[in-house]
Amino acid sequence: MSPCVGCSANRNEQLVQLGLDPTRWDYFVALAGNPNTGKSTVFNQLTGLRQHTGNWPGKTVIRAEGVFENDDRRVKVVDLPGTYSLQAGSADEEVARDFILFGEPDVTVIVVDATRLERNLNLVLQILEITDRVVVCLNLMDEAKRHGIAVDPKKLEKELGVPVVPAAARQGVGIPELKAAIGDVAAGRITPSPFHVEDYPPDVARGVARLLPALEEAFPDIPNARWVALRLLNGDRRIEEAVLAGTLGAGPEPVAGHEASGSEEPLRNAVLEKASKERWNIGPDFQDALSKSLYDTAKAIADRCSLTGGKRIKFDFDRSLDRVLTSRVFGFPLMLFILAVVFWLTIEGANVPSAMLAGLLIDTLHPVLIGAGTSIGLPWWLNGFLFDGVYLATAWVVSVMLPPMAIFFPLFTLLEDFGYLPRVAFNLDKLFQRAGAHGKQALTMCMGFGCNAAGVVATRVIDSPRERLIAIITNNFSLCNGRWPTQILIATIFIGALVPASVAGVVAASAVVGIALLGIVAMFATSWLLSRTVLRGEATSFSLELPPYRPPRLLQTLYTSLIDRTLIVLWRAVIFAAPAGAVIWLISNIDLSGASLAQHAVGWLNPMGILIGLNGVILLAYVVAIPANEIVIPTVLMLTVLTLELAGVGGGDGVMFELDSAPAIGELLRAGGWTLLTGVNLMLFSLLHNPCSTTIYTIYRETGSARWTAVATLLPLVLGLSVTFLVAQVWRLVV
Amino acid sequence: MADPLRNLLIFGLVVLVLAVLAWPRRGLLALVSYHLHLTDRVRMEDALKHLYKAHLAGRLGTLESLAGALGIARARIVRVAAKLEASGLMKTTNQGLELTEDGKAYALRIVRSHRLWERFLADRTGLTPAEWHQQAERREHAMSPEQVDNLSARMGHPRYDPHGDPIPTEGLELPPRAGVALTALEPGQAGRIIHLEDEPEETYKHLVDQGLGPNMDILVQDVGPEQITFVGEGREHQLEPIEAANVTVVPRAAEPTLVEGHRTLAEFGPGHSVVVVGITSACQGQQRRRLLDLGVVPGTVIEPEFRSAAGDPVAYRIRGAIIALRREQAEWVFVAPAGEREGVA
Repeated sequence: MSPCVGCSANRNEQLVQLGLDPTRWDYFVALAGNPNTGKSTVFNQLTGLRQHTGNWPGKTVIRAEGVFENDDRRVKVVDLPGTYSLQAGSADEEVARDFILFGEPDVTVIVVDATRLERNLNLVLQILEITDRVVVCLNLMDEAKRHGIAVDPKKLEKELGVPVVPAAARQGVGIPELKAAIGDVAAGRITPSPFHVEDYPPDVARGVARLLPALEEAFPDIPNARWVALRLLNGDRRIEEAVLAGTLGAGPEPVAGHEASGSEEPLRNAVLEKASKERWNIGPDFQDALSKSLYDTAKAIADRCSLTGGKRIKFDFDRSLDRVLTSRVFGFPLMLFILAVVFWLTIEGANVPSAMLAGLLIDTLHPVLIGAGTSIGLPWWLNGFLFDGVYLATAWVVSVMLPPMAIFFPLFTLLEDFGYLPRVAFNLDKLFQRAGAHGKQALTMCMGFGCNAAGVVATRVIDSPRERLIAIITNNFSLCNGRWPTQILIATIFIGALVPASVAGVVAASAVVGIALLGIVAMFATSWLLSRTVLRGEATSFSLELPPYRPPRLLQTLYTSLIDRTLIVLWRAVIFAAPAGAVIWLISNIDLSGASLAQHAVGWLNPMGILIGLNGVILLAYVVAIPANEIVIPTVLMLTVLTLELAGVGGGDGVMFELDSAPAIGELLRAGGWTLLTGVNLMLFSLLHNPCSTTIYTIYRETGSARWTAVATLLPLVLGLSVTFLVAQVWRLVV
Repeated sequence: MADPLRNLLIFGLVVLVLAVLAWPRRGLLALVSYHLHLTDRVRMEDALKHLYKAHLAGRLGTLESLAGALGIARARIVRVAAKLEASGLMKTTNQGLELTEDGKAYALRIVRSHRLWERFLADRTGLTPAEWHQQAERREHAMSPEQVDNLSARMGHPRYDPHGDPIPTEGLELPPRAGVALTALEPGQAGRIIHLEDEPEETYKHLVDQGLGPNMDILVQDVGPEQITFVGEGREHQLEPIEAANVTVVPRAAEPTLVEGHRTLAEFGPGHSVVVVGITSACQGQQRRRLLDLGVVPGTVIEPEFRSAAGDPVAYRIRGAIIALRREQAEWVFVAPAGEREGVA
């Protein structure tokens, strides 16, 4: 079973639970709309809850929920995935459709982009077929005005038969009116009588007409009989099940005596049988004809509601910008330049706060905690376990990880909000297409340079199952934040030392960049291989919308990207790092027949380590430091001191440490038997090994499949072991 | 450790052994699993299908035809036939081998499973048309009736497989056979392809390579003793009569929309404005659904806006939004320059 079937099933389960949730709120509202219409902004404005809102079509895959109060009524809002249609062709569409139909919200708010009314009305018309209780939020009125087009909300309200509220959600305009309209519909003060598409293709109309009597006999009071008939003709499984179970609702309050009773069952079966018969009579281009009639009707309504006639929006500024940003000449150089600036700002900007955090958490607070522990009489082992183990690992991860992420993610989010990132995907798509992947993978790859776990989460913007899996599995080849310090340190010690001091810095930096580029090569090669072998059978469908450019909002971006990306990832890392600290401390301090567990383990792993040009210490460090790449080097140093049984270096058994100067570390490592080969292979292995446990967990969450998680974990590891092995053998032959 | 050369050799050997074992579709593991799957039951089911096909064609099967169809030795076929007869699925008459009613129902269930699988593979996976049949040939045997019904429900009870063959319903009903062979059309007559026979494989592959498929509108231009010439989706096709006999069409009176020399969206660069005429019948399943949802329906005005820095994809203005389509997708969409067609804005 493909993973996405799995994840949509998961969502359905959550959905059923939600629908059954006891009413701790008075009204329950679903928020639907096309991708990129500012739906999430409307959601944030309604609830005050800060949900991340990217300028990306199809951002909200997992629904967000929030509550607001209006007229002393508590209203719960659920943000549905943005979709172009509700034909249940993709997982997102299925979620949205099922929610509106079976979640039975009191009101469904449809957010509509006033600048693209015709396209958005296509979805509105489909929702109006399912439910009467609809409020349309005509959003982006400001953008429409800026581009010189005007829509008549009153006229649209008449055409659609449901309340239409003009809004500019970014500025908060229209939000109070929207809340009032929601309240009116929910409380029944307004009873919408929505417009229904009449213009079905003849064979479909005949089929619906023949099916309706049986359906209305079995379900006398459903409001959307015609739509149900249509879905039955289309063989919609969820609707069939609902018909059989008798759970087709009449509205939010279940009608008394609506429980399945024996007498209705033959009627329901008759409905399904009739639908099955009728299905032979409708043509194979059913879907085509239906889509056409919906879009034609949408266009007719949009034309009637336009105050500016047939005038179409020019987006002159957008097109001029696009011509530069996607031009053959400037497109790629500009992209490289912008990305280079982002990385430079991240690396340069993170140095100072990282040092400050390390100074505070590790150099200052750690001794204080140890002292406090001793003074309140903690036994040495508990003191060591808690503060040398758990605390130190956590502090290390926070001080190395937090600053670069707190810079990288907001910068990235700004580019995303502005609308530049979809253009990057657009420019790079050809390259990714050749590897069987999606252009948007360029973005998730870049995100991976910040943090692989965040990169994996970001693959949600890829809506084609196969391409999304490829992006998830190959994300680990982006050299993440936690690995840069290792690369830089080892390159400085072993590669910088090969050349005169004057150029050492440049050479070391080039070596690190070379490793990162190697990662990109590995990503393309693996994507190509995957798309032609194990993932060949997965479904694929490309689509990429290029949204209009929108001025990014600095403060909001800073806030949301800190909350959504940085803190969530950091929290997960901390949860995984704390036990790792405990394990590192324990294996160094529990003795077994005269030597610590760590020493035994290093002894066992050493032959294997030497074979692939590394050593036992490095392998053990990678095993115990699986939660976070950040603590690999401190662990390596501690274990080196432990196995060499050096006195006076570091903080004692099980206490991770780092020396201030690279040469001092180099000396220690060379004493541990490290050579240039060890350095080179460590750099390679740091790039090509299993993802950290935070990422593995995230992959499991995102794919819902143990199989793909295993592939994503083992593939880079096998690759890394093979590459380091081959390099070591060739090295020994040549040198 | 001491000898890197030896290590490299061992590594190479391990990789070689793994490749020989696990190579997709040609490795030992794949071959072993293929032969394990060829049980007597599978042979019996294949035999039933063959006899059912013969029955549809108004013939009776023989041991020879069975041996040919299944590609196994005569001695084995005799055993398979004996088993079929013992299970009451088939009886031997003077004229040949005849299916019993039970045998026909069994065969229909296998056909149902096969065609559902083909539909599934066509709509929900990235496999090529040539692979649908192969895969379905294997999977059809591994399904219980409940699993088949489940698959059908999941797919929305499709009525036709991707070749245009009707899929028997749960009650094993089939609609009356419709259509005529392409060879039966006169020059100047129009029709719509409803079915391509997927056996023999070579002929089917040739038809698919020509770009033919169900739901394609065609117009016959010339019928000769050696060639039948017709246009479909703007291209001229030529088939030998023996190939054309494998194409089933329904004659259509109305002038087909997609027959004439329409151009594809991919031929128009920025600065043009075009109107959608239709989507090629070759684009099916999710891919077609996606295009329709994006608003690519007949009558939609599309304006190519700008190309990506790499030249592909191209950004198109479609119903108010800027949508990037890859070249491959743009080639599926037939268009006419805007203003040429009447009745469309």
